[in-house]
Amino acid sequence: MNTSQDHGHDHSHAAIEERDEAIEFTVLETAIRELSIAKGLFSAEDHRRFMEWYDQVGHTGGARVVARAWVDPAFKQRLLADGVAACKELGIDWLQPTGVGTPSDYTYLIVCENTPQIHNVIVCTLCSCYPRPLLGMSPAWYERSNYRRRVVRWPRQVLAEFGTIIPGDVEVRVHDSNQKTRYMVLPMRPAGTEGWSEERLMSIITRDTMIGVALPDIDWTTSSTPSGTGQPA
Amino acid sequence: MSKFNVGDRVTIRDLPPLFHTRTQGYTRGRTGVVVALRPEWVIPEDEAWGRYEGRREPFYMVRFNQRDLWPDYGGVAIDTLETEFSERWLEPAANASPAAGNG
Repeated sequence: MNTSQDHGHDHSHAAIEERDEAIEFTVLETAIRELSIAKGLFSAEDHRRFMEWYDQVGHTGGARVVARAWVDPAFKQRLLADGVAACKELGIDWLQPTGVGTPSDYTYLIVCENTPQIHNVIVCTLCSCYPRPLLGMSPAWYERSNYRRRVVRWPRQVLAEFGTIIPGDVEVRVHDSNQKTRYMVLPMRPAGTEGWSEERLMSIITRDTMIGVALPDIDWTTSSTPSGTGQPA
Repeated sequence: MSKFNVGDRVTIRDLPPLFHTRTQGYTRGRTGVVVALRPEWVIPEDEAWGRYEGRREPFYMVRFNQRDLWPDYGGVAIDTLETEFSERWLEPAANASPAAGNG
């Protein structure tokens, strides 16, 4: 864990506080949106519909991609070779809904395959770049500087805080999405899922397993309810 | 035409952090290995100003051993980090630099 002893000083400085780094962009977004509506580029209702659609994208696309890769080795090879093209096979089009993607944002997808030797985890230390066509909106913690600055520096400790302990003989590989490439983790298919349908496999492929902060668990599905957990086994 | 190839050891240049660069402070002056050539696209220094027809450069995926990024890294020696740079940010690693033994 990150104690004062292992980060090398005795805390004579003031506490480092979380800043609301989105505020300038929120103001900028509001100004551009209002001007665009006033200019007739799109309507307020167009914007509302887009945001309604955008907020419900979710992680299901990512789970479909992973489940297909688990059952279809040829698809997995295509996915690792060209993530955007393979997604399109399953109806997930990274260029939609604009038709051109967003040039300043996602353009390429690299799928990072977990193996018995390598565990991958994704972050964007600059902001919150995230494979949104596959995973929807990023969780709040993914955007916070706490995760962003610490997972590149103390990845094993941060993973442990998520309850994910990676053995010392497994390489932890952090992917920092600082440019146009977006990353998604392809988790390993757990034992005990032999013969499962793609639909059933999808139930254990949660968002966090595709960010790389968790591992699929055959006893933990996307419809599991956290209440009642927390009792030591 | 890419100046570096997969397998080349490169050091991230420590250029003045003026304006928008997308080159993280923690990588400046650090040495890693090119693991993939990426397509050419407009460098962030131009794109940030809306110059979408600005300077285009090859990009590179560079893998660092965590211990080369953080001298007091607390994890194991095999841990790595990958991130991308445009060509202007890379220079050949000095031969005298300690071998990272990147796997």
